[in-house]
Amino acid sequence: MRDRKNPHAARSLAITTYGARGLRALAGLIVALWFLLPLYIAFVTSVDTRADVFRFPPHLIPDFDFHPYVAMWHMAHWSMYFRNTALITGITVAIALTTSVLAAYAFVYLKFPGRQALFFVTLIVLMVPSEALLIPNYVILHQMHLLNTLWAQILPFGGSVFGVFLLRQFFLTLPTSYWDAARIDGASHLQFLWSVVLPLAKPVLLTIGLYIGIGCWNSFQWPLIVTVSHNVQPIEVAVQRLMSSQSVDWRRLSAAGLMATMPLIAIFVALQKHILRGMSRTSGLQE
Amino acid sequence: MNQPMVVRAATTTGRQTLTSRRRTWLTAGLFLLPLFAFLVTFTYVPAGLSLVLGFYHYHLMGVHTTFGGLTDFKEALTYPIFWQALRNTIVFAVYMIPATLIGAVAIAVLIGERTKYYAFLRTVVLLPYVTPIVATSIGWLWMFNPQYGILNAILHWLHLPESEWLLSPQMAMPSIALYSLWHGLGFDVVIVISALSNVPRQVLEAAALDGATGWTRFRRIILPLISPTLFFLTIITTIGTLQAFSQIFALTGTQAQAGGPENATLTLILLIYQTAFNYYHFSYAAAMALVLVVMLLALTLIQTWLSRRWVFYQ
Repeated sequence: MRDRKNPHAARSLAITTYGARGLRALAGLIVALWFLLPLYIAFVTSVDTRADVFRFPPHLIPDFDFHPYVAMWHMAHWSMYFRNTALITGITVAIALTTSVLAAYAFVYLKFPGRQALFFVTLIVLMVPSEALLIPNYVILHQMHLLNTLWAQILPFGGSVFGVFLLRQFFLTLPTSYWDAARIDGASHLQFLWSVVLPLAKPVLLTIGLYIGIGCWNSFQWPLIVTVSHNVQPIEVAVQRLMSSQSVDWRRLSAAGLMATMPLIAIFVALQKHILRGMSRTSGLQE
Repeated sequence: MNQPMVVRAATTTGRQTLTSRRRTWLTAGLFLLPLFAFLVTFTYVPAGLSLVLGFYHYHLMGVHTTFGGLTDFKEALTYPIFWQALRNTIVFAVYMIPATLIGAVAIAVLIGERTKYYAFLRTVVLLPYVTPIVATSIGWLWMFNPQYGILNAILHWLHLPESEWLLSPQMAMPSIALYSLWHGLGFDVVIVISALSNVPRQVLEAAALDGATGWTRFRRIILPLISPTLFFLTIITTIGTLQAFSQIFALTGTQAQAGGPENATLTLILLIYQTAFNYYHFSYAAAMALVLVVMLLALTLIQTWLSRRWVFYQ
């Protein structure tokens, strides 16, 4: 570009750029394949015949033998684990969204003394490290006689400061004239919130819901701590139990892993735009 | 402020304003109550409890709780395995922080371009971030398998010495770090790409016209401009590393006890878990949790202090 007068120089530059572009595209592809590899290996292991699994160098072309999936589905009470996980996720998201919307609305639309101070008190929660809460929360749930229930996996996550923060940011961008107009029409705060604010906030609600929901669906440590009975446990804990029982073979184990991963991959492919937006907002918390 | 003029004109007496104001306060209270019911029960009270639990001898089924003072802290600090766990935790952070920063910046520069092809690659890199940790550990366990795993196959093809991976005390922690990078790096890459897109193009073009090479532009312009983001990533990687539990539990749990081999992957959070929920030494575990929190606080403060030397704020 600097030597625009010299056609040869320009040409050679273009060629190197072309070559560099190809090289870059290839390097990017290799990186991406590396990120796909563990999922692919799990897939190949889950559909290979027994003889092909134990082979060195590893067998990389799948045999498409889906028997391990059928066997795995009958080995554990999968429908129950899926139902538990879905219930925990659904109820947590519903509670967390409700509490966040109401609180964020109060912080933006209702003038009361100590509003800023209270918002600050809310934000302090972000600085409490979760490892400090493991033991005290276990003790509290024990006192409430809620250990080993679905509620033990829901209630501790009912208040989402992340949700309050994002919704407050969003509400602040709405013109105040909306409320003035609603007020003149005689609307109450609850009516205004329900019929004007919430429909506008749908994308933000989706982002927060996805963020909380994915975290909830994938949670492992907390369910492991607060549950012992299979009938209240989520998928991740069930998968871990299968892993530690030495009797399960690798093909079935890989099938189990993929069955547990599949819903997340589907959600991610379908809604990645919203997930990405949530992430860029998370980084907005850095200020 | 946004009370409409019409309404204000309608409130003729001060008394009415007072009732309407009280009504607003009442509404605010009702709107905030649900959130604070959860936060008080499951964050504020437990956070307070976490500060005192380590000083008491607490037993779930016990008849009474007695004051133990500093005995649990003393016990924790004189227990060799506690120091080993502390060292393992720091070693894990020492692997993870530079690897995350360098990996995220390198991949972001490589695939940050705004074309469909690179957008697809970004999707692939981010995918592991949303997957469940225990479930995806299974594929990795198979990759780490010394006999049949693909990692040793790759080393074999490259004529490099093979490794025992998770079964070797030296390689177990790096193996966990490898999994953690696979799972989490996509998030960091997305954050760095959004920081890179904020670097003004004109500045880079001006530098190029002045003859600055690609590396100089990267080193002297891009890096300083994205340094606040790199600092943010350092902090969240530190926090994430100290919290890392599921991957260690899943990848080493198939051995005799999670944290193996020879306690090489036993981190503080894992030791706290085992102490509290396998052996039910609650106050002892709470004392260790407090040490972990203090450590996290100290690390964050040190990094903030160090950041004055390398983070450039516009």
